Amino acid sequence: MTQDTPTDEDGGMNRRTMLAATGGTAVAAALAGCSTLLGDSGTQAQADDADVPDEPIQAGLQTFTEGAAAVLGLQAQYGAELAVQRINDAGGIAGREMELETVHEADAHIENYTQFVDEGKEVTFGPISSGGHAALAPEVESQGVVNVSTDGTVTTLYEETVDDPTYSFRFQNYDVMECVTAAREAVSRFGAENIDTIAGINPNYAFGQDEWKFFELAMNKLVDGGVETVYEGFPDLGATDMSTHITEINNVEPDVTFSSQWGGDVTTMMNQAAANDMFDNTQLVGTVLYSAVDELERDVIESAEAVSGSRNWYWDFPNRSRWAPNGDTFSDAREEWDIVPTAHFMSGYGAVTAWATATAKLVDVIGGWPSQDQIARGLEGHGFYTPAGYHVMGTGHQGKSNAFSGRMEWSEDVGAAVLSDVNAYAPQEVSPPEGTTAEEWVNSW
Amino acid sequence: MSDDGTAADAGSASREGRLPGIVTRDGDRYVRVTRGLELPPRRAALGLLGVILFVAVPDLATLSPLLQLQVVHQGVLFGLAAVGLNLLLRHTRLVSFGHAAFFGTGAYAAAILATHFDVTSMLLLLAGATLFGTLMAGVVGYLSLRHTGLYFSLLTLAFGQLLYAVVIGQGYFGSSDGLSVRPGEANQALLFGVEFGSEAYSVIVYYLTVLVVVVGLLVMWRVINSPFGNALDAIGQNRTRARFIGIPVRRYVLAAFVLSGVYGGLAGGMYGLVQQHVRPESTLYFLRSGDILFMAILGGFQTLVGPLVGGIVLVFLQDVGRDVTSYFDALTGVVLVALVFGFPRGIVGSLKRGSPFRERLGRLAADPSLAATWLRGARDAAVAAAYRAGENLRILLFGVN
Repeated sequence: MTQDTPTDEDGGMNRRTMLAATGGTAVAAALAGCSTLLGDSGTQAQADDADVPDEPIQAGLQTFTEGAAAVLGLQAQYGAELAVQRINDAGGIAGREMELETVHEADAHIENYTQFVDEGKEVTFGPISSGGHAALAPEVESQGVVNVSTDGTVTTLYEETVDDPTYSFRFQNYDVMECVTAAREAVSRFGAENIDTIAGINPNYAFGQDEWKFFELAMNKLVDGGVETVYEGFPDLGATDMSTHITEINNVEPDVTFSSQWGGDVTTMMNQAAANDMFDNTQLVGTVLYSAVDELERDVIESAEAVSGSRNWYWDFPNRSRWAPNGDTFSDAREEWDIVPTAHFMSGYGAVTAWATATAKLVDVIGGWPSQDQIARGLEGHGFYTPAGYHVMGTGHQGKSNAFSGRMEWSEDVGAAVLSDVNAYAPQEVSPPEGTTAEEWVNSW
Repeated sequence: MSDDGTAADAGSASREGRLPGIVTRDGDRYVRVTRGLELPPRRAALGLLGVILFVAVPDLATLSPLLQLQVVHQGVLFGLAAVGLNLLLRHTRLVSFGHAAFFGTGAYAAAILATHFDVTSMLLLLAGATLFGTLMAGVVGYLSLRHTGLYFSLLTLAFGQLLYAVVIGQGYFGSSDGLSVRPGEANQALLFGVEFGSEAYSVIVYYLTVLVVVVGLLVMWRVINSPFGNALDAIGQNRTRARFIGIPVRRYVLAAFVLSGVYGGLAGGMYGLVQQHVRPESTLYFLRSGDILFMAILGGFQTLVGPLVGGIVLVFLQDVGRDVTSYFDALTGVVLVALVFGFPRGIVGSLKRGSPFRERLGRLAADPSLAATWLRGARDAAVAAAYRAGENLRILLFGVN
């Protein structure tokens, strides 16, 4: 929480200030990762006059549980499961425990959601896929059960696809934020005067094309006199050979190469780039390169010295030895699933947290269990904490959080890549104000 | 809704009673559906039951969350595309690996009309989908039908993937995110200018599908029981001979190909209306073509309604499979293997009178002790096979027996 929070006499936070700081409910404190600070009395007594149903809250999550995209999808699932676990350990929301059912999103986003609604789920989370989210969001609007998406971060979702949403929300920072973060990182780390040429290697589908478009746009605004694009390559998702793109980069030697690749594609690209000495000729900057953390080897990490974004959370910033919520979350993820949690872990965790904290607050305010419409209204402009810090669900239904980015380095101690020298960007630095489209905003710089 | 055209001879259409009803011929009573389509009472009752079930799906779907109207609906639509494909498969013996191209063309035609031209009328969207599906079938058919057999199959596959690649690469088609089918102020397609709530919409579109499918099946029945259908059979059995007796082979096969494209385009357009969002993976990818082919085989490609049943069963399997096991793709694979070995005639084909499966069931019902005999037979066969395998291994390893 903030530096100037009032403290009790012995210098620690007392229970009341802790609760007040995190949003007033034990659930909010637990999800902020502060349950250890609350002591044993962390369970929440149900308000006597609150008219709350007895049965547990049924929730549904759709995410990729298999296939290439499961690299991200499982992280989101584990994050959501950890949040649910913490809610239940804190005594549930107004005494109601939460049960989460996960289903593979495949290409059946609407069917999955409809089935969740038919099964009486009170809230749904997911999906990962941008195209799937574009198909799903209008359906959420017509069926009226709140969905807080983990990802599906396509920029145009709340600008065009559903321009006046009621029940559809998105927790994770959307695409434009990570592209602008990457551009700001390139300029601040290497100096605008040192960047004349850029290149891109991005996955060949709508997401990759959009990411490249926004990065290019932002770079041309941030560098006086603009930059020259010397190469743009679009390997297919899951391509096994990226050597043509790497050879081309080696020929044109751009100052900065941007990549929005994720998961297994990052591993393929970085391994082949290292083998062909691409990193001697260019500086790699990416949005979610770190999503491949569990697969990348030491020599590749060390030769690349790549800069990677980490969306709205990096598990070691602030450092986990000094910031207990990160420490606890990291060790929970390591112990329970044997993973290094990535930004997608926070996608799942934060989506559940957004809904749970808003609902807990509403129960307090209403004195009963809120309806879908009330929850939807309550989520608009709702602020809450996770281990990643403070988040606000914007009035336009887009979650806004700090964006993190750092240099990938090898850590003996973790046995995997870590981000060092992490920079955090406030939402207003990397995202348009409410009511402005991303493209208008970047063009107005 | 009979399961094939053997019930009555199309050539001897009765002149009496032009209306549906009961007709008597040679002392047997038949239920007359349309000209030339006369069914024995039992089969008519089965058909009627099928139609009733078909109509009752929206009510049945409310009973359990496992049964989703939207899933059954999708199955019906892919099944309809498979009915079209089956015209080629069953009669001209041509295997098309690219039938998703017409389904996808129909779906995308509806999506483009809705997104870029704001066409709100369901019927106009469907007409556009059918038209473009048909045109696409004309073009692809004209270019592919120069070849037969494997080359034809590979050409259809190539054209299908070409379309997929074009759609993925163009922002106009929504690239990989796809396009929505939510035109106009109401953000949905309208029927006769009327706007519906979310649930009403899906039920209304479903009944539109029921109507389209029933009419589509009747039309298909007429086609395969016409001289044209017989000519297609002749072509399938022996092209050279068919040409010798004066059948314009290429023209007829192209006509059949285009007709199957009509079904694909129409089904695709309906799919766009149901899903209200069209994406390339689910409509144009070559695996979809494989699905459509699999549906025809699963349901029984020697029957008329088999592909439709196959479509419903396969889509249902894929959907429920995801709830039950994470190996749901393997589930469909196992079903396919079981089918090829155990029920080569498919679901409907195996249940038809005169099929080996029905005959065995009958024998088992008459004498349950047969089961033991069959089990013994299976065991002996397995032992013999293991022994042969051992023998072969010895020969491979030591060169002598």
